[in-house]
Amino acid sequence: MSAAPESKKMITDVFVEGARKGWGIGIGSIIPNIMMAFIIIKILSLTGALNLLAVVFGPVMAVFGVPGEGAAVLMAAVMSMGGAVGVAVGLLNEGALHARDIAILAPAIYLMGSTIQYAGRILGVVGTDGRRYPIMFGICIMNALMAMFVMNILV
Amino acid sequence: MKTDDQEKVSIGAYIALAFAVVFFSGLLKSTEWYGVFDFTTLNGGFGKVLKDATGGLTTFRGAGGSGAADGFMFALGLVPTAMFALGMISVLEHFGALKAARKMLTPLLRPLMGIPGSTGLAIIGSLQSTDVGAGITKSLSDEGELNDTEKDIFTAFQFSGGALIVNFFGSGAILFTLSDTTGAAVPGSIGLALIVMFIFKIVGANVMRFYLKTIDKKATKEVTAQAAEAK
Repeated sequence: MSAAPESKKMITDVFVEGARKGWGIGIGSIIPNIMMAFIIIKILSLTGALNLLAVVFGPVMAVFGVPGEGAAVLMAAVMSMGGAVGVAVGLLNEGALHARDIAILAPAIYLMGSTIQYAGRILGVVGTDGRRYPIMFGICIMNALMAMFVMNILV
Repeated sequence: MKTDDQEKVSIGAYIALAFAVVFFSGLLKSTEWYGVFDFTTLNGGFGKVLKDATGGLTTFRGAGGSGAADGFMFALGLVPTAMFALGMISVLEHFGALKAARKMLTPLLRPLMGIPGSTGLAIIGSLQSTDVGAGITKSLSDEGELNDTEKDIFTAFQFSGGALIVNFFGSGAILFTLSDTTGAAVPGSIGLALIVMFIFKIVGANVMRFYLKTIDKKATKEVTAQAAEAK
């Protein structure tokens, strides 16, 4: 049975298979990441570091129409896309970010997301010349900033 | 790679691709019958649950929570969206939506990014898994299908927004189903975000293309010239 060609698969099975993958991402990535982000944001908020972030990054982030707290989302993105989504959701929950800010930040999270991890999994595997690593990272960050700029105009 | 180019893409695959575009674009978001063709509409929302013994109602997540516990409940509420999104992606892929995308993309790769059409399969693979994309790129490069410049351009495309489709539909799509503390819904749509990201992936590849053509070429020449002189 396992050798049955793919075209014979019931469409419902195909959906269920994909949904199961979603469940895997849900319990393996979304829940732990968002839970961690909520804890970090609670710490940042209780210690007043969130306000500091807002003041320090406020002027830069204002270029993209996002409050300074949005910088926390971008910092998290470099480590992990899921973590950055968690931080974004947590800040939305705190009222530090608003609906429009989320739309502006969303493409940026992915364009510069998980780059530390992918440096090994993409650049390492492909065999990119070490001298080109900085420009690869630079392109990701620039892509993210330009996407924020464009989203700020579009939404 | 030749077999990929010759592979026939059925009309159904193009329909699946068109459906995917409409489904995630948010264009048909409505409570009318055509809302069945919209992701956010079908994704729906949780009902209210009992708040306390007095019979008040609150959201699925509960009211007044904070910290890890609140984060857990909130995240749990996002799981159905991830499941639905990836289920739909599987179905659309099954009908050949990605194959159709590859067919349409292949002739555009040279003008858009200066990389050969044989990377079409790797591009589609890289949108779903960074490991698949990187693996195919490595073998294309080893086989001589890609020269060093093309390899670096293509890698830049993959590195920004790695495994975009699976990553974005797995976690980012949920962002467009949320509302903030003032009750305003996140504007834009899943489709809009996807288009913006895809365009910037291509822009990023071209930045690398430009860099290699101008700045890096000179630097490499100087280094080799110096090395030759030293000899």
